[in-house]
Amino acid sequence: MSLYELLGTLETGFVFGLVALGAYLTFRILDFPDLTVEGSFPLGAAVCAALIVTLGWNPWLATGVAAVAGFAAGWTTAYLNVRFNILHILAGILLAISLYSINLRIMGGPNEPLLGVDTVFDTFGGFGVAGYVISPIFLGAVTLTVLILINLFLHTGWGIAMRAAGANPSMAQANGINVGSMKLFGVGLANAMTALAGALFAQIFGAADAYMGIGVIIVGLASVIVGTSLLPSRTILQATLACIAGAVLYRFAVALALNADFLGLRASDVQLVTAVLVALALIGQVSGIGIKRFFKTSKPK
Amino acid sequence: MIELKDIHVTFNKGTPLETPALRGVDFKVPTGQFVTVIGSNGAGKSTSLNVLAGIVPVERGTVTLGGEDITNWPVHKRARMISRVFQDPKIGTCEDLTILENFALAHGRTAPRGIRFAIERSMRAATAERVKVLGLGLENRLDDKVGLLSGGQRQAVSLLMATTGQSSVLLLDEHTAALDPKTADFVLETTRTIVERLGLTAVMVTHSMAQALSTGERTVMFHRGKIIFDASGKERAGMKVEDLLHLFKKTQGEELSDDNLLLG
Repeated sequence: MSLYELLGTLETGFVFGLVALGAYLTFRILDFPDLTVEGSFPLGAAVCAALIVTLGWNPWLATGVAAVAGFAAGWTTAYLNVRFNILHILAGILLAISLYSINLRIMGGPNEPLLGVDTVFDTFGGFGVAGYVISPIFLGAVTLTVLILINLFLHTGWGIAMRAAGANPSMAQANGINVGSMKLFGVGLANAMTALAGALFAQIFGAADAYMGIGVIIVGLASVIVGTSLLPSRTILQATLACIAGAVLYRFAVALALNADFLGLRASDVQLVTAVLVALALIGQVSGIGIKRFFKTSKPK
Repeated sequence: MIELKDIHVTFNKGTPLETPALRGVDFKVPTGQFVTVIGSNGAGKSTSLNVLAGIVPVERGTVTLGGEDITNWPVHKRARMISRVFQDPKIGTCEDLTILENFALAHGRTAPRGIRFAIERSMRAATAERVKVLGLGLENRLDDKVGLLSGGQRQAVSLLMATTGQSSVLLLDEHTAALDPKTADFVLETTRTIVERLGLTAVMVTHSMAQALSTGERTVMFHRGKIIFDASGKERAGMKVEDLLHLFKKTQGEELSDDNLLLG
């Protein structure tokens, strides 16, 4: 693997690290299997691209608005579940399907190229360092910042209320926590992160596409499973770091599948390789194999 | 004072499984009184507690607290004034959070939560002081996850959490039923001490007649969704379990279906 490929893989890994953090928030913290991300990822890309290209907005502002749009999508899914008792998975599917049409409307077509316009990455053009070096550093910093903010939030009054709402709703209610509000905010926040990832992804690859959300939920979940299976995840900080590491590892597995001619693998084997990776992580989780066993774990006293 | 007035609750209404759970229950608990509630399975005692907590909606009737109608208040809103200890220690605490974080959650029931850090230094000291009275050594394990505690320890923590803050009513739903006899005695004794010290209005549902008569200052018996017996003062002081069974047979013309459990 060349340096260029390595940095490119890190770049994509960090972007999907944001998706993984969102998946961690919904699946692990809130116990809310959320499929909205299949729509909110391209929504972030579409909103950002449309604002930059059509309206000539500042790319930073457009990226921020994309995250807000993602929050609105996640909030709507949670509202369908909380207010109308629609099953969370079904509510997510409904949103993901409707967002496909909404994204076509936003972009005025199936895609929106970001050619000849400034993106957030162009801000660093004057630093004298090649773009393919700056991009992964910047994305790593963004992902790390989001990770720190999520960690801080989950230790605040609202944060522990959200953790309790997901882990034990009866106890949470008995302690005065509005479980519904926690779901609305938490699922919104997770989709804001996913839409932010979508907006950044579109700016890296120079286009937003209505189909770019396909499989995002699998990537997010696989990252969480791979990361938390292989690495220690007892604390929130460990778990969130593991999610990002899982996202990067996942991208490396994809890169391996695309480049491992010497192993007899073809580019078309990418889905098989990633599926094997996730299966191995799950098997490791069940059988206790993995890096985790090298770390000291607490025992009941 | 907390009051249930003409409460009617029917489960599975309009279906072949329709079951009347409460049939016009009038139940008034003056401020500071400790009431025990007894009854066989399906008598309506836990349903009454759930109506007070807001978990079960009423078909007819009103729930008032301190003169205010709270019938339509959601559970989380009522929780600011009515706290609860569940039968299952796993429900009353959050096993993924530390002991300290669980207490921070309980603290937030009556104090505003915000985007400040949930645990401050003063809270650590205050929590250590509170759990120390249990004599379980938990003051040295505040950063342990609650999932690492035994059932009895969790229930004791749950009880302390329920009595954290300004709540004036404590609901105890068979909170010693899932514990071994020794631990159950410890938790019950702790309950008596806390309720007395804080002067709480408490309603304790129990399946044990002996426990019902030896705890608190008033005993209420439910049967088929109605209160059939309400004793306090001298009448209750001299009462034994056999007297209660005899009274039940005399007024209802039948034996209790699960005497063994009730005598436990």
